[in-house]
Amino acid sequence: MDTFLQIVANGLMLGGLFAIVAVGLTLIFGIVKVINFAHGEFLMVGMYLTFLLSTGMDVHPYLTAAAVAPALFVLGALTQRLLIQPLMSARDEHVQIFATVGLSTALMNLALLVFGADIANTPAHGVRSQVMLGEVRILTGQLWVFGAAILLVIGLQLFMKKTRTGRAIRATAQNRAAARLMGINDKFIYVLTFGMGAACVGLGSSLIAPLYPTSPTIGTYFVLIAFVCVVLGGLGSIPGAFFGALVIGLVDALSGFYIGSDLREAVVFTIFLLILILKPSGLFGTRMNLSHVSP
Amino acid sequence: MTETTSMTQASGGGLSAQKLGLIAVAVLLAGLIAVPVAVGDQFVYHIFITICIFAALSTAWNIVGGYAGQLSLGHAIFYGIGGYAGVILVNLGISPWFGMFAGAAVAVVAAIVVSWPCFRLHGPFFALATIAFLEVFRVLALHFRELTGGATGLMIQLNIGWEWMVFRERFPALLIAFGMLLVCLAVAWAIRSHRLGFYLVATRERESAAKAAGVGTVKVRLMAVSISAALSAMVGTFHAMYLTFIEPESMFSLQFSIQIAMFALIGGIGTVWGPLLGAVLLVPITEFARGALGSEAIGLHGFVYGVVLMLVVLFLPNGIMGVVHRFTSGSEKAEGEQAAPVAAAPRSAVPHEAGREVMRVEGLQKHFGGLHVTNDVGFTLREGEILGVIGPNGAGKTTVFNMLSGFLKPDQGRVSVLSPSGEWQEPASPADFATLGVGRTFQIVQPFAAMTVEENIMVGAFHRHPHVGDAREAARETAHRMGLGPYLNAEAASLTIGGLKRLEVARVMAMEPRILLLDEVMAGINQTDVRRAVDLMLSIRDTGVSIIAIEHVMQAVMSLSDRVIVINSGQIIAQGDPQEVVRDEHVIEAYLGKEFTHA
Repeated sequence: MDTFLQIVANGLMLGGLFAIVAVGLTLIFGIVKVINFAHGEFLMVGMYLTFLLSTGMDVHPYLTAAAVAPALFVLGALTQRLLIQPLMSARDEHVQIFATVGLSTALMNLALLVFGADIANTPAHGVRSQVMLGEVRILTGQLWVFGAAILLVIGLQLFMKKTRTGRAIRATAQNRAAARLMGINDKFIYVLTFGMGAACVGLGSSLIAPLYPTSPTIGTYFVLIAFVCVVLGGLGSIPGAFFGALVIGLVDALSGFYIGSDLREAVVFTIFLLILILKPSGLFGTRMNLSHVSP
Repeated sequence: MTETTSMTQASGGGLSAQKLGLIAVAVLLAGLIAVPVAVGDQFVYHIFITICIFAALSTAWNIVGGYAGQLSLGHAIFYGIGGYAGVILVNLGISPWFGMFAGAAVAVVAAIVVSWPCFRLHGPFFALATIAFLEVFRVLALHFRELTGGATGLMIQLNIGWEWMVFRERFPALLIAFGMLLVCLAVAWAIRSHRLGFYLVATRERESAAKAAGVGTVKVRLMAVSISAALSAMVGTFHAMYLTFIEPESMFSLQFSIQIAMFALIGGIGTVWGPLLGAVLLVPITEFARGALGSEAIGLHGFVYGVVLMLVVLFLPNGIMGVVHRFTSGSEKAEGEQAAPVAAAPRSAVPHEAGREVMRVEGLQKHFGGLHVTNDVGFTLREGEILGVIGPNGAGKTTVFNMLSGFLKPDQGRVSVLSPSGEWQEPASPADFATLGVGRTFQIVQPFAAMTVEENIMVGAFHRHPHVGDAREAARETAHRMGLGPYLNAEAASLTIGGLKRLEVARVMAMEPRILLLDEVMAGINQTDVRRAVDLMLSIRDTGVSIIAIEHVMQAVMSLSDRVIVINSGQIIAQGDPQEVVRDEHVIEAYLGKEFTHA
């Protein structure tokens, strides 16, 4: 029983980690309607920035978020402005996919060029110490990530529902043409949203860096899992991505223990395929205007 | 041969450009052999073998990703299957020349299993699904160590000789790689210039219009995926022999899959020669970078790939072939000559007599959620009859049409069609309806935008004429009849709305239907065109075709229809002679409101 509780706890903590990556992805997807294949590389860039800042200035990695998140915001905003916006009206959605795939490939290999294939270990500054919650052992860093993920989801939801800008973003997502007629600058909204999505993963990367070794290819693993969480939770839904991430975290942990740690990914991706094929709107699917991206 | 001759007639200027293109391709292909032989350097041989392999894989990918428009980022699945099948069998003492066919067979099965459930997914979702399948294959290859050697990989036993595809010199390997490239190019060319290629592009551009033209959209896509997978697997087998060592990380690699797709995109996605061009241009740059700079430049080639990919989508979305086309296709624009008057049969003075029944519609019911859109609709259609369907906006006319053509399944009721052999049948799918000779147009025009006018009509003509030459002939004839003759080589996307409406009718006419369903083909076109369309429909009717036409243009309805059905709120509220129906109280009420019924 203790083992089981421990596995569930590990799964939930892992889910929190996935969530903090997936939230930005689903935000970009829900509003800009572009699947950002470079999202994992945004995470990788953020983790390297965290590594460089925290080792270079000898500060706690969490503090670097104050610089990393804005830096990632700029990276995301530039991606939208320079790469995606010129392709928004493309007849063929291939080009948007290839654009972000190209960005992903370029960033990953740039990191290989600059940092080499060796891994970079961000100093832990105590977040890899364990705490006991009843019978269950958890890393403090994992708790921080989990808490941050919840706060991020709540914060984003409040922003979307309560602020004027948030309403403008939701209106643009629902119907771009109508939003423009209401005087919303849709291009600005897209740049802002892409930036916000990237900033979310920037925040996440400062929290994840002390827990995971940083390597040029770390993004690929996380982005694929993040896609799974996003589809599971219903594309574009922020709370959906959070709960989807918890489910995938649990599946990952449980299947790793009961089926075999080398088959975890096969289980996760099989679930992903089943959801895509059988219920593309996701488990917690919200009805959104995705007319030009879904069947 | 017919194709070449018809090309000659099509455009005198285009021919020389086309010949030039073929010469360029021949020179390029010859260079792939000649350059390494002339230079004689091992490393140059290696680069050219790699070019051939990537060009072959990319050409195979293009059949699915380009022609069919299904963006697969998991094509390494098939390459990997081919590689593993080859190596495993070689280690059992079986020649890779057999192994490659075994690999191809497994790859075809995998392709069907992977893609069948995914065809309802579009664009990014299909891409994500293929990535997920690739990950599953990679994880499984790592897991089943007894078969695949797991993470440590598999070495092949080094038996030298042609029967083992392993050589001391590089030249024979280059010959095999080149041969595989030629096979892939030949298959891709053959598909593109035959019915299957037209069907694939049509399905990619407008799935529903393709279905209405009788295309088995799932079938043609499965064929494309199977062919592509088989070719990729065969190349994979050879590449494994060339590398002499394989492991899951390199055989089932996402980066590798992306590269395959990338060459096609850079060269020109959906074109026959684009993938070859992309590989020829990019592989040498990156291989040189890898070879010359060695481990210092790890990541450099990937970085170049990524940057080039972004630049190409931003500035050359049609790839290099797009640039080539811009220079060669200047002469293929519409000449702008006056549309030839429609050679319509003069209106017969004797009142037309309708023949036997050809379609029976009984008790159709359809609900969308709580909305009762079709309520007990039933009527019959006779041979050589024009049945007008009118009704206010939102009355449910198009819904009825969708049930008459297999696009919607009625909740209750049935639609039966008299087959040419004289039996009553109840078709279920759009393809079944098309087979029985029911053709339809769409209210919102659905052209295959990336195809020319001629090719659009050919997609319909293939229904009766499976050979390209015959279909082209039939398409031209139809185009001239519809006044589209001058625009044969124009892209459908460049037509005006009136032109698109005519194209819509031309495509269905080219199917030579026995029953024609026309959905508002006269809406939004000018008076002259309306009169022309009326004459055309009468001439079609006089050849024995039965027509059901939804129409708002009352002038046309009144002069055309032998009989009129009025639908309101999903129900038939009146039917009969056009002159009587328009005087019917219920009809006036439905259109104008109660107070007008006594006016």
